[in-house]
Amino acid sequence: MDIVVCMKQMPDLQQIRIKDRKPILENVPLVWGDLDKNAIEEAALIKEKVGEAKITVVAKGSDKLQQGILEPLAMGADEAVLLTDPAFEGSDSMGTAKVLAKAIEKIGAYDLVILGEGSTDNYSGLVGSALAELLNLPEITYVRELNVENGKVTAVRNMEESFEVVEANLPVVITVAQEINEPRLPKFMAIRKAGAKPRHEWGPADIGLSADEVGENAASVDMLSNLAPEQDRKNIILEGDLDEKIDALVDALIKEGVLGR
Amino acid sequence: MEEEKVEVVIVGAGLAGLSAAYVLAQEGVDTVVVERGDYPGAKNVTGGRIYMYPVARYFPELWEDAPLERHVTRETLTMMAENCSTSITLDSDRFREEPYHSYTILRSKFDRWFGDKVMEAGAFVLPKSRADDVIMEDGRVAGIRMGDEDEIPADVVIAADGVLSLMAEKAGLRQAQQPKHFAVSVKEVIELPSKTIEDRFSLGPNEGTAQLFFGDLTKGMMGGGFLYTNINSISLGLVVGIESLMERDPKIEVHELIEDFKARPEIRNLIAGGEIVEYSAHVIPEGGVNAMPRLYSDGILVVGEAAGFGLNMLLTVRGMEFAVGSGVMAAETIMKARESKDYSAASLSYYEELVKESFIFKDLHSFRNVLSMLENPRLFNFYPQAVCDIFEKLMWIDENPKAKISSTVIREGISKFLNWSTIRDVAGMLRI
Amino acid sequence: MNIESKLGLDVFKIDEEPHIIINQEICRSCEEKFCLYVCPGKLYSINRETGDMDVECSGCLECGTCRIACVHGALDWNYARGGFGVQFRFG
Repeated sequence: MDIVVCMKQMPDLQQIRIKDRKPILENVPLVWGDLDKNAIEEAALIKEKVGEAKITVVAKGSDKLQQGILEPLAMGADEAVLLTDPAFEGSDSMGTAKVLAKAIEKIGAYDLVILGEGSTDNYSGLVGSALAELLNLPEITYVRELNVENGKVTAVRNMEESFEVVEANLPVVITVAQEINEPRLPKFMAIRKAGAKPRHEWGPADIGLSADEVGENAASVDMLSNLAPEQDRKNIILEGDLDEKIDALVDALIKEGVLGR
Repeated sequence: MEEEKVEVVIVGAGLAGLSAAYVLAQEGVDTVVVERGDYPGAKNVTGGRIYMYPVARYFPELWEDAPLERHVTRETLTMMAENCSTSITLDSDRFREEPYHSYTILRSKFDRWFGDKVMEAGAFVLPKSRADDVIMEDGRVAGIRMGDEDEIPADVVIAADGVLSLMAEKAGLRQAQQPKHFAVSVKEVIELPSKTIEDRFSLGPNEGTAQLFFGDLTKGMMGGGFLYTNINSISLGLVVGIESLMERDPKIEVHELIEDFKARPEIRNLIAGGEIVEYSAHVIPEGGVNAMPRLYSDGILVVGEAAGFGLNMLLTVRGMEFAVGSGVMAAETIMKARESKDYSAASLSYYEELVKESFIFKDLHSFRNVLSMLENPRLFNFYPQAVCDIFEKLMWIDENPKAKISSTVIREGISKFLNWSTIRDVAGMLRI
Repeated sequence: MNIESKLGLDVFKIDEEPHIIINQEICRSCEEKFCLYVCPGKLYSINRETGDMDVECSGCLECGTCRIACVHGALDWNYARGGFGVQFRFG
């Protein structure tokens, strides 16, 4: 069985400082999204169960990927395709899906394509569906339990208020939810050996695209601004005795629309 | 089956560990650096300045494009009394000549960069991994353990895990640490535009200032304050002896000291309008040669602050130079031991020889009595006040006739300084 | 600025597992309780209900002052686990 896992490197959100309502992204360390780790973990679990399987990670990110990719390789991936060309930068969800589709088509063999249901930075949740469409494959989203047997997958989807069990024939695109598994912490020797696993760096030309068909140039969505919510304090000081203060507080909260809607 | 082992495992990606790794990697030694932070530097704190002359000879190519902050062109020492202070400033053209004498530094930025250089040189830096114990095999250290399930067997371990050095402790090289040998430092990084810093401190582009303070700010306790200008921030903090903090009566909370320090007019205007972007704390070794652990044993070497290499001389505070130097010496020792594949204590004792012949041990030894001088509370209350008083008398003009300068100095000098405690203090200082 | 707000400026990766464990028996027998004021993060406090010493590990700067100052040995002290605890951006 051939499994492709798509992963994206992103800034460590906890490390981002906000200045003048704008995020400072310069020099912020890069990490894998939490759900991306669930995706590679699920692939590794399937491989352990079915025995014969090859896991290829397709990862998008900066030149730091050469280092970062060791983690999924140590977790169980056999091979990695790195999309580090600066031309890929600034793409929107559709653009990312297009690049992933081309890369996966070039890989050729894929029974299962696994992604996180969304990335922790943008959380558009669109890439999986767009990718399924481009590859002309069925897609199962929000998967919290996955079983692969006899050329079929059975998946439990988290519908928030209910669980839905669905079945599909391979090949299929799966997007996973966080509760599907607990990603493993790779051991040192596994990380060390991961360095010897095959890694390919593909630019736009390698997947049959020109530079203006990818990245910011090809994005159909423009990000106009990215600002933290304003947190101006009202600095209202309530006067009077306790009862008066409480009344004034309730009035103020009603006025602000916090109470009594 | 191929043995799963590395040649050298270094615990801690600070200056000592990374320096050792950088040298070893360049020599083609299979080296792994284990770092508990998310990246090298994530757990590392300094007051703020590295002296270049002791370290420039090691890997000169590296320093050339290192992300250091400002080269220091002006040094100030301030004695603070309760309501006044006296400063001495040295501004010298020598400080403006290359190679520069010292630079201010932010370690999270610098060490992260250094970690990348070490990786490029061929060593492996493993972040987000805490070393928990040493592997003991036939009485010798044979690697490290991380948690219950992971380990890195190695020919030799370098404990570069900082001032507390749990590794040296686990390997039986040191005893529990005593409060009198350590100080705690708290620091704030305060962001200000580069231009504001240059205007406020009267600095040229890329020029920096280093200011040390002692006296009332530590409320009679052993310690002092520091201020370093970075490119677009100020590192401001203070250091206080842990034992003096424990013994002080009435008690004082260490985090309050920095608030009082910042509220002083001497400081307040320098940092006005700045935004605090980080608060950190760090323990500093002050025990010198008297508190050094054993530096080596079978299969293990101890470097940097883990080995107690730090020196507070009031006028200068040092540690990073010792870290780089000892890291390189540990690497040289391993290169030599590697020729005969002998990592026994006898073979690794070469490291102690190197340290003893170097500036590290010589400086620590020369200044071994500084600590006892610093323990003198008169240094932190009497002297700053006395010096301020004399200056104030000289400077003060009012309706009364002014006394002659010479007679003021002589009269005040005699009344304040000509007594047995002062003579004893001076005698003590002359021993340094 | 108070100490809580100051700690709020730092990046902390919070671990559910505490990395400092207090031996309450030893702690109770200690008169000085140095930990209450030597900690730069002011993370030690006496629990009003139980009388036990509490430590708020999630704001720990990992300096080790408490480890050195607790001369009675009530602390089973370790650094935060790999990938957890304070992550300095400036240092």
